[in-house]
Amino acid sequence: MRELRANISGIIKSSVIDGPGNRMVIFFQACNLNCMYCHNSHTIGLCNYCEICATACPTQSLAIDKEKKQIFHNDVTCTHCDTCLKVCPENSSPFYKSMSVNDLISEILEIKDFISGITVSGGEVMLQAKFLEQLFISIRNHTELKALSILIDSNGNVDQNRWETVLDWVDGFMIDIKAYSPDIHKQITGFSNEKILKSIHYLNLKGKLKELRLVFVPTYNDSDEEIKKITDLMKRLSPEVKKVLIKMRKHGIREKYNFLNEPSLDEMKAVLNRFETAGLNLLII
Amino acid sequence: MEDIKNRVLEVLTDGNLDYKQKKHHLAYIAESTQAYPKVSAEAMEALSEKVICDLFEGSAPYRPRYILPDYKLALIRGIKYLELDPPTDFDEAINFLSILYSHVPSITGYSVYLGSIDQLLLPYVGDLTEEAIYKKLKLFWRYIDRCLPDAFVHANIGPEDNIIARSILKIEREFKQVVPNLTLKYDTEKTSDDLLEEAVKTVFEVAKPHIANHKMTAADFKGNYGVVSCYNSLPEGGGSHTLIRLNLKKISDAHKGNLETFFSNTLPKYCLMTLDVIEARMKYLVETVKYFETDFLAQEGIIKLENFSAMFGFYGLAECVNLLMKNNGQDYPYGQNDEANQLGHRILEEMKKLVDSRQLPYCEANNGKAFFHSQSGIDIDIEETAGARIPIGEEPDIYSHINTVAPHHHLFNGGISDIFHFDETIKRNPLAVLDIIKGAFKKGMRMFTFNLSDSEFIRITGYLVRRSDLKEFREEGSRYGSTLFAANSMDNADVDKRIAKRVNSHERTASQY
Repeated sequence: MRELRANISGIIKSSVIDGPGNRMVIFFQACNLNCMYCHNSHTIGLCNYCEICATACPTQSLAIDKEKKQIFHNDVTCTHCDTCLKVCPENSSPFYKSMSVNDLISEILEIKDFISGITVSGGEVMLQAKFLEQLFISIRNHTELKALSILIDSNGNVDQNRWETVLDWVDGFMIDIKAYSPDIHKQITGFSNEKILKSIHYLNLKGKLKELRLVFVPTYNDSDEEIKKITDLMKRLSPEVKKVLIKMRKHGIREKYNFLNEPSLDEMKAVLNRFETAGLNLLII
Repeated sequence: MEDIKNRVLEVLTDGNLDYKQKKHHLAYIAESTQAYPKVSAEAMEALSEKVICDLFEGSAPYRPRYILPDYKLALIRGIKYLELDPPTDFDEAINFLSILYSHVPSITGYSVYLGSIDQLLLPYVGDLTEEAIYKKLKLFWRYIDRCLPDAFVHANIGPEDNIIARSILKIEREFKQVVPNLTLKYDTEKTSDDLLEEAVKTVFEVAKPHIANHKMTAADFKGNYGVVSCYNSLPEGGGSHTLIRLNLKKISDAHKGNLETFFSNTLPKYCLMTLDVIEARMKYLVETVKYFETDFLAQEGIIKLENFSAMFGFYGLAECVNLLMKNNGQDYPYGQNDEANQLGHRILEEMKKLVDSRQLPYCEANNGKAFFHSQSGIDIDIEETAGARIPIGEEPDIYSHINTVAPHHHLFNGGISDIFHFDETIKRNPLAVLDIIKGAFKKGMRMFTFNLSDSEFIRITGYLVRRSDLKEFREEGSRYGSTLFAANSMDNADVDKRIAKRVNSHERTASQY
């Protein structure tokens, strides 16, 4: 099998908030949505070697070789001020790494005794469905790793064939619903949501949808109509699917979206009550 | 004599002590009038300089430091001395144990071991309902906390899942008492995930139980074992005559020469001296005081001399390693650097060899050798880190932490502990803790203890204290002996920083007057 590589923006070796048990979380670079409240906007794009970050770096800790498409980072002089991330016109980062399936397997082996499983996240991880397929097959064929659970944290914005590629190897999916109406979805994410709605129903039908999450953005996705439609959608899903309401947090969002209002606890409770009135109990995170 | 009179008067008039605490201190002063068991002048000097520390056991040992009565045998046979017949039902069993506990000697005056409570009581459950068991155990638990108010008093549960163990965990969460300290013996093959999860959720509330690697610990003992006081694993029906600990920081401070001469001269010299102190104290207890000929527990076979040994402890490994590394031109700290960690392992391996090569009298429980123990510290340890722990505030990420300490846990048949810290978010995902505990045991850890940040309970060294008790004590004294100990620890050792919890001991307080 030809060895595929993927751009990995980060690995968290112990997470207690990305599924049941202690999990290793692998974050993939690049996303096909552009949410206003994205906390990690530097994982949205890919580097085009424009050198803007290297020029802006106050400690000259970055150098870029355009021809070889290589980035050099001096970790000793770097002060982690994140200027490079702020100036990047591509919503990218000079820090993500190209890794092979074997590279990731080695990382997992190191901590296998301490985890229930792995969660892959992004960016949008399903853009790497082929790579994921190889990674998951390697895990399932590995005597020491095959019992690990595999969860995918996705925005759902891909075609059915991508789900089919990984479905057999995966324990479950955690998907976001940003809004029901395509227009509101476009306001929040820059893109429409037809594929996402299809994905939600498809994964539910296959019994693999573990969690559906709504990020509450005041004045955007809290109209009566939105709440009614999201409630209807969630009610049609299996009762096994965990339905979650997440508070939009402004921490780490881009400056141009500073106008967004983070909901207060009272607002969260109020919107939760509206879902309850519509006949749906959501968990709050 | 004038000095003794003044010390006595000081105790009598100290408004922070209650009647029982005064009696305890007065006894310590009386004991201090006796000459220390015969050891070399050099060893006496090391004792007075606290290079070797006897943890305030007193100068004339008249009872073993750690006694683990064979409660099961006592329940079957009854106890003549206490005119107790074997119990026939649950109430009688609890009553029997409550009475017996108050007659078990220790250094602090309160029994350090209450037994594997679930195993002891299960035969008496009969047709009692869950609700009835819960109600009876609640009264029992309240009695233990109110009448044995010392945080070193320690109960065990497990490894099998059972109604008593579960009820105790429920009561712990409800009562939030400091006493008793609690250990769950965990065995992958015997303990259900459900029970372990209950235990983890209980730690979220009250910072206990500790989780012991049952299979690994049991393999070190001929018969049953118990976890007592602060992570000390010892044989049931016996215990440890004494615990003497070597201050590795002080011996590395005093060491003149290079790294190799530390191993060839300084370390063996002080280890042997510590063993001399252990031997002298044991002989005094057994031959001069004749404890095992005169105490009812020994006379009635509830404890046996052949089930005893002694404990060789140490503390300040981190400081010792750091200094030796620095003097060797490698200024890398223990816990964060592989070479420093390797040096730490080498020191521990070497000490273990020295301890194992010394035949001691009255240590039949461990084939004539002392149990090796990583001592978890007391309040006077200002500059020294407990046992072989990584200093508070310098711990690396949890996997590195476990991978650093796990390789030496196998050495400590007398017990060792490392404390891990979790953020409050883990409360939503207790299974994550189960994963980490199981991983730690796979890596060879003997004991797993963890805390949550900002808990009302603060673990000091191995025992617990409530934040509110600590505050109260500073203002007006406390019902628990160990709170003073904790108050001192808190002031001295940055334990606040560690998210820790608190408990009590009379070790320190006894020596103050």
